[in-house]
Amino acid sequence: MAIAVFFFFAALAIVGGVGVVTLHQPIRSVLSLVVVMLSLSVMFLLLSAQFVFAVQIIVYAGAVMVLFLFVIALLGPARELGRGRLRFQTSLSILFVLALFGLMYALIQGIQYRQPEHADLSFFGTVQSIAVGLFTTYLYPFELTSILLLVAAIGAIYLSRKRIDDL
Amino acid sequence: MSTLSIGGQQLDASWFLLLSAILFVLGAVGVLVRRNPLVILISIELMLNAANLALVTFSRQLQNIEGQLFALMSMTVAAAEAVVGLAILVDIFRARDVEDVDDLSELRG
Repeated sequence: MAIAVFFFFAALAIVGGVGVVTLHQPIRSVLSLVVVMLSLSVMFLLLSAQFVFAVQIIVYAGAVMVLFLFVIALLGPARELGRGRLRFQTSLSILFVLALFGLMYALIQGIQYRQPEHADLSFFGTVQSIAVGLFTTYLYPFELTSILLLVAAIGAIYLSRKRIDDL
Repeated sequence: MSTLSIGGQQLDASWFLLLSAILFVLGAVGVLVRRNPLVILISIELMLNAANLALVTFSRQLQNIEGQLFALMSMTVAAAEAVVGLAILVDIFRARDVEDVDDLSELRG
């Protein structure tokens, strides 16, 4: 069952990823990305990361994607020109990316896995275990991310304000 | 060693890593090939998601929660990146219609 679920959602994620890159309307790219994110959330569930699964659906597939849809609705359907100014950009980048994939494939084949630490799998990935990590060992990084979010919010408000010379 | 026992079945950790690599590569293609700045941002989100999958996979393989914590942090960074990137994009689009990122190559807007 787990293997079937893995391959179904892996195929769905790859189809969605291809859709993000190839579809010409930006709104279709965003909806393909939602497909990818929901498939990845199932992957997180398979990897017993329940809390990351919930956050993936709420924050990513929910908030971030709605933000993208909102901006597309605001800007209108932007068409895309067929080609850029650089003549060989498409072929060169596909070549480069294939080389990158070959490198990553070789890395994945050569990984020396360490022995697992034999944690309690019924406890692993629950909200409780995440909270123990976030509020003890990683308290300072956790607090720093709240500052990062504050800075991002202030920056977004500053960038989207009405200019005085526009009035 | 690299097999993960999930729901009574053996799944290999490298399958998840391979899926992560494929999605990352697709995102890289999107960043390099597409011309629309909005689609480039979407492709960056795809790459960040692929990296998260690798982090959670290693977290499960080592049965160490720190990988999941790092994935949560990287989700926060991705959200902040999307907010600021989209705000910059809206600001640029207010001044003019951009169909190609290369239209923005001059220093003075």
